[in-house]
Amino acid sequence: MKYIDEYRDADLTRKLLADIQKIITRPWNLMEVCGGQTHSIIRSGLDRMLPSRINLIHGPGCPVCVTPLELVDKAIALASLPDVIFTSYGDMLRVPGSSRDLFAVKAAGGDVRIVYSPLDALQIAKDNPDITVIFFAIGFETTAPANAMAILQARAQGLANFAVLVSHVTVPAAITALMDSPDVQVDGFLAAGHVCTVMGFWEYEPLAEKYRIPIVVTGFEPVDILHGILDCVRNWNLAGSRCITPMLARSRTTATSPPRPSSGKSSR
Amino acid sequence: MCLGIPAKIIELYETNGMKMAKVDFGGVVKEACMEYLPEAKIGDYTIIHVGFGLSILDEQEAMETLDLLKQIDALGDEIPGPA
Repeated sequence: MKYIDEYRDADLTRKLLADIQKIITRPWNLMEVCGGQTHSIIRSGLDRMLPSRINLIHGPGCPVCVTPLELVDKAIALASLPDVIFTSYGDMLRVPGSSRDLFAVKAAGGDVRIVYSPLDALQIAKDNPDITVIFFAIGFETTAPANAMAILQARAQGLANFAVLVSHVTVPAAITALMDSPDVQVDGFLAAGHVCTVMGFWEYEPLAEKYRIPIVVTGFEPVDILHGILDCVRNWNLAGSRCITPMLARSRTTATSPPRPSSGKSSR
Repeated sequence: MCLGIPAKIIELYETNGMKMAKVDFGGVVKEACMEYLPEAKIGDYTIIHVGFGLSILDEQEAMETLDLLKQIDALGDEIPGPA
C-alpha cells in the first residue's frame, strides 16, 4: 500500500544499513521510545542486520507496560462489579494485577469487552443505557485526543452512564526519568512520530540540550527507523553532542512550540 | 493499540455532529473519526490511531524524503568505507 511499501523497500533498507556501517565511529546504545517501533524492528529483523556496535534498547513507550499496578488493580475491581461493562483495548487484558488480570475477570463472568477505539465504548454506553460503561483510558499522548473526544461526545449526547478510568503518561517525563537514572546508559533516542504529530517536538529540544543526546523523531517502517538511526549517528559525528531532528516529513507535523490556550472547539 | 497505520479516506460523513470517515487499510475498511482533521478530503491518506485520524500524509513530502534517502545513499557510495 502507498506510504507503506516504499518504506519497507528491501534495497533501500540494505543501502541504509550499509550507510550506517560506513559512518559509525563508536558504540551506540539507542533507545526506540515506542512499542510500535520495536514491533517493526523485530518484525523486519533490523536488530539482527544492524552493525554490532548499535545496540537497540526497547523503550518505555508501551502504555500497557507502564500503566501502574494500582490502576490495573482498580480496573480489575471495577470490572468485577455487577451492572458494569468494562471496556478496554485488548492489550490490557493480559496485564497482571496484584492477584489476577482482566481476562480472569471475564472468565469469571465479568462483562469485559475489547474495543478498538473509545468511540466503540461510547456506542456500548449508548446501547446499554441502564448499565455503567467504563472505558480504560490508558496511553501516551497519542490516545489523549481520542479519549478527550469520547468524553466530549458522552456529554454532548447526554450519556450519563459513560465513565473513564484514566491512566495517561507522557514521553518526555519517561525520557527524563531514564536519563536521571544512574543505571541507564542511553546515547540517543528514536522518538515516535505519532506522539510528535499530536504534541510537536518542542518538548524534546530542552531534553537533547540538557542530556547532550541526539533525539530523532521517526516513523514506524524499517526505512523510517534506519533513516532515524543514520541521522542520529551522522548528526552526532557532525555536531559532537546534541541534535534533534524531526523526521516524519510525510506526516504534517508542524507544532514546534508549546500549545497556546485556545477558546476554539478543537485544534491539533 | 499503539500503532498508527496509514489508510485512505474513501467516504466522509457526519455522525452526531462528528466528522467521520470510511477508511481503507489496503483492503480492510473501517470507520474512523476525522474531527481532528477538518481539512481531510476523500482520497487523502491519513494515519489512523485508536479510531482517529491523526494527520494527513503529504505525497510531496513523502516523495522528497524518499528522494533524499536515495541521494544520501548515492553520496554514501562515494565515501570509502573502513579498510
